[in-house]
Amino acid sequence: MELLYQYAWLIPVLPLVGAMLVGLGLISFNQGTNKLRQANAVLIVSLLGAAMVLSFAILWSQIHGHAPYLKTIEWASAGSFHLTMGYTIDHLTALMLAVVTTVAFLVMIYTDGYMAHDPGYVRFYAYLSLFSSSMLGLVVSPNLVQIYVFWELVGMCSYLLVGFWFDRKAAAEAAQKAFVTNRVGDFGLLLGILGLFWATGSFDFEVIGERLQDLVASGALSMGVAVLLGVLVFLGPVAKSAQFPLHVWLPDAMEGPTPISALIHAATMVAAGVFLIARMFPVFAGLPVVMNIIAWTGAFTAFLGATIAITQNDIKKGLAYSTISQLGYMVMAMGVGAYSAGLFHLMTHAYFKAMLFLGSGSVIHGMEAVVGHDPALAQDMRLMGGLRKYMPVTSVTFLVGCLAISGIPPFAGFWSKDEILGSAFGANPALWGVGWLTAGMTAFYMFRMYFSTFEGAFRGNQKEIQVQLLGEKDGKVVGAFGPGAMDPKELGHGAEAHGYHSDSPHESPVTMTLPLLVLAVPSVLIGLLGTPFNNYFEGFIYPPGELHPEVMEVASEFDWTEFAIMAGNSVGIALIGITLASLMYLSRKVDAAAIAVRLQPLYQLSLNKWYFDDIYDTVFVQGCRRLARQVLEVDYNVVDGAVNLTGFLAVVTGEGLKYFENGRAQFYALIIFLAVLGFVIVAA
Amino acid sequence: MDLATFPWLTTIILFPLVAAAAIPLIPDPKGQGRPIRWYSLVIGLIDFALIVYTFSTQYDLSSSELQLVEVYNWIPQLGLQWSLGADGLSMPLILLTGFVTTLAILAAWPVTLKPRLFYFLVLAMYGGQIAVFAVQDMLVFFLVWELELLPVYLLLAIWGGYKRQYAATKFILYTAGSSLFILVAALAMAFYGDTITFDMRALGLKEFSLSFELLVYGGLLIAYAVKLPIVPLHTWLPDAHGEATAPVHMLLAGILLKMGGYALIRMNAEMLPQAHALFAPALVILGVVNIIYAALTSFAQRNLKRKIAYSSISHMGFVLIGIASFTDLGLSGAVLQMVSHGLIGASLFFLVGATYDRTHTLILEEMGGVGQKMPKIFAMFTACSMASLALPGMSGFVAELMVFVGFATSDAYSLAFRIIVVFLAAVGVILTPIYLLSMLREIFYGAENKDLTSHEALIDAEPREVFIIACLLVPIIGIGLYPKIITQIYDAKTAQLTLRMRGAVPSLAQAPVPMGSSPAGMTTHFYQAPQL
Repeated sequence: MELLYQYAWLIPVLPLVGAMLVGLGLISFNQGTNKLRQANAVLIVSLLGAAMVLSFAILWSQIHGHAPYLKTIEWASAGSFHLTMGYTIDHLTALMLAVVTTVAFLVMIYTDGYMAHDPGYVRFYAYLSLFSSSMLGLVVSPNLVQIYVFWELVGMCSYLLVGFWFDRKAAAEAAQKAFVTNRVGDFGLLLGILGLFWATGSFDFEVIGERLQDLVASGALSMGVAVLLGVLVFLGPVAKSAQFPLHVWLPDAMEGPTPISALIHAATMVAAGVFLIARMFPVFAGLPVVMNIIAWTGAFTAFLGATIAITQNDIKKGLAYSTISQLGYMVMAMGVGAYSAGLFHLMTHAYFKAMLFLGSGSVIHGMEAVVGHDPALAQDMRLMGGLRKYMPVTSVTFLVGCLAISGIPPFAGFWSKDEILGSAFGANPALWGVGWLTAGMTAFYMFRMYFSTFEGAFRGNQKEIQVQLLGEKDGKVVGAFGPGAMDPKELGHGAEAHGYHSDSPHESPVTMTLPLLVLAVPSVLIGLLGTPFNNYFEGFIYPPGELHPEVMEVASEFDWTEFAIMAGNSVGIALIGITLASLMYLSRKVDAAAIAVRLQPLYQLSLNKWYFDDIYDTVFVQGCRRLARQVLEVDYNVVDGAVNLTGFLAVVTGEGLKYFENGRAQFYALIIFLAVLGFVIVAA
Repeated sequence: MDLATFPWLTTIILFPLVAAAAIPLIPDPKGQGRPIRWYSLVIGLIDFALIVYTFSTQYDLSSSELQLVEVYNWIPQLGLQWSLGADGLSMPLILLTGFVTTLAILAAWPVTLKPRLFYFLVLAMYGGQIAVFAVQDMLVFFLVWELELLPVYLLLAIWGGYKRQYAATKFILYTAGSSLFILVAALAMAFYGDTITFDMRALGLKEFSLSFELLVYGGLLIAYAVKLPIVPLHTWLPDAHGEATAPVHMLLAGILLKMGGYALIRMNAEMLPQAHALFAPALVILGVVNIIYAALTSFAQRNLKRKIAYSSISHMGFVLIGIASFTDLGLSGAVLQMVSHGLIGASLFFLVGATYDRTHTLILEEMGGVGQKMPKIFAMFTACSMASLALPGMSGFVAELMVFVGFATSDAYSLAFRIIVVFLAAVGVILTPIYLLSMLREIFYGAENKDLTSHEALIDAEPREVFIIACLLVPIIGIGLYPKIITQIYDAKTAQLTLRMRGAVPSLAQAPVPMGSSPAGMTTHFYQAPQL
């Protein structure tokens, strides 16, 4: 067993090796490497597969009670300062390793089908592998600095992958937005880390927690400062896990290829924020104010995400807001101290949301055969409908995902969400109220998505809708084109890449449907690990510092009546949501458009994402540009102007003085001598 | 021949100079400068090999003392000595000089205008730059500092861009004018007190009066502020960098800026500690101004070269904060930031040059979508920009982190001051990706710019260019992954220097250096960890 732990560093290193090899190949022998398309993919997938096997071996040994493992080496030092790096393996790490490697592995297999025709196929695999490596490095980090290192690295991978199709302007902007927004969070995280180090002299989570408690208890550090440091650290997760007010980057990040949306922007990287809160739990737990802020941020984000998701027409954007909302649940759980419930939801969500995103990718892949490669067409649900007939596997797995996320028993999402809601009720009924309402909205928007995508009649061939959507995309007046006047370039692009143009979508290749089917299994079953009457999950994942038997005791005091009331409430509102969705989008008995007109202000608020993008653009983006331009003007006109003025004056005075110059070296020496003399006299 | 007493540094300095003198004798039948290029490259490689050999066999990492000392009387009547030596401050910069200059020669491959003169000047710079870092005599230091300006002036004025005359004149007036302060300070310090000496170590031991130190410090600060540069004495730099060709650019950003930082530590901080204690808060404030001001101007710049030039200024701000932190870690970070920026700045400027060779424009609006035809340059540019925005795993991150932690835990400043400075410096951490990523987006992303592709053939990077960037990225990533490879060269020196600097601050003179296991604030009642 020890051998396994000694070589655990291979888990992040293996995918890194894959990325490096393929990356070097791409730089040095570009054409050759690109020709060996699947050979590269096989190399990378098998390296990650090896990492997955190691991860499961570690999970297995941790479940069987192996002690936590820590190994570090000295990384940087100056004088008496020493900073170590290394890896740590405990229950939380083992769980995250297993989740990340499985999702990454399946996404990589899926990628082979999804990116089959893309000229950047090999590059995409290299990036994927690099990301997996950074993410795995993040979860094994034993201290805050190393977390920060990998935190930024996953951010960079996200940047590269969102901007993968770099010829698309929108992708370029989204990539930059993602990176910069995350940097704002990292700014807080960095300040928080520095502050905590200043206060406690350590980068280790538990040491920081203990010492901070001592300092606050002894009054050496005022509570206000401690809270400030906690909030600064929390800014990191706010950005990474797309919480209000830094959530704006995640929907835009959907410009990246869909496997990325599934892996990075749904299952793993965005969950890193929740993971960090879990790691910092010893610190946050001692700061009730910070815990409250975390809980309410999460609750508000859950609500915000759900309200926006209701009106999105882009299938990926809808799922993105749903992710924001679900991340809000996890953060809220952390905030109310429901440590294991939050992580449980993280795990279940990783599986079913990855499946949903991969399903949406499958749908887009099918739609592209009909409408071409323009995301404005291929991803819009108004052009879909009736896809169940053409894509049976995709539709069944998507339905499973919808049931799971809506919290219908016995699917995975029910158990984890119910546990969060239960804990929230215990902490503050208002939080529970928000969460409960959001659960209803979740069921509604997910089934709205399911019904408009897979049920009804296929609308993909209706040219009027296509024209209208293209018009919306370009911001032009709708109807200015005649029917069929699509952008010819886009059609050409689609036809070129596929070689044919069909009238009906098709089911995706087996490399894409297989991961969907595999992910459906945990989406249905994994929740059973954490049932309230027999909670294996909580027996494995519990807050640091809490003793194992304590947890089990709590679990044994299970109350059926209470469970029935709580579960009944959340299932009830979910069913209401589903019913509403079916009335509006399946049987069309209720006209959604009419409701939208009736509730125009609310509809517009939701459709325009609460106007966050517009406000941020005006205040921050334009403001920053204006400020920079003004500073540059000052630099040109004032600072450099003064220099040029000096030069001008020198010329003028020089012209005047030149008659006094006599060209004798002694005279110059005299001046220098006098200057030095004066200097010494003045000083002495 | 005894290896231990062999004049290594003199050889390293004179070898390129002597070799440069032989350039007129090299036959160049085709007039394209091909033999001269190879000759210079070989000379550069030999000299770099000499530096590496000397470093690995004759240099003791654990010592904080001056090593490889050579003293020859030059003009005894003036007390002038050719005195060389290297310690933890000089050694990393000498290594950097050898490395970057050799790569710059390789980067200058396409230069065909007056190749003899060009390579003569580059080789002259090679020796001159190393001399600046190795000389231990104030007066000789002034001489080599001045001599260094001449090749740069000519390289700018002859091979520069459209406004090269203006830029070169501005450069020479700025730097030559300001370096007069070095001469005056050197003379004043030499004649102060009973003994007359120009030897830096002897000068460091002299006890100056406080007002004298302040005066000299102020004078030297102006000289080095121009070189580093410090806002508002920076305006020569965008012009000079904006007009220089890529190889000259690499030298300017990679090495010449470091001369300012080096001299600031070597003279201001080490020889005038009392004045440094008083000036330090001003340095910190100037550092913060550098970071934010230059980041904003860089963001607004539409000219690619000037954009990167301003980003250099921004990065130098961390050097200032580190120098003034009075902690091991901060000072160590400052030195590392110089080395790191030397590598990153050189690589970015080289790539800017490579991009310009293809697009023939530096205006961002006239580019766009270039990445489709030049994926390798795109990839390398992205990697180097990531290094510049202090991505972890690359050297810039380590340096900035060390400065941050060093300053945040410094006990020389009040808590409020530290909070404000760290906060503002961290704002720079947000601004840097904004301007760098916007730049990448405008050059490489998006649809191809038809106006550009219609008349420019955009050819991807050739192996020579990939090789140069690979050479620069290896140490950048190497330091980022394991910073001790560089920090161990100067750890002993910075520790000793920190003690000396702290000795001049009354409140710190007795206190232990506040790093590592003993955390500290202004007050000592913070958590006292058990000594590990």
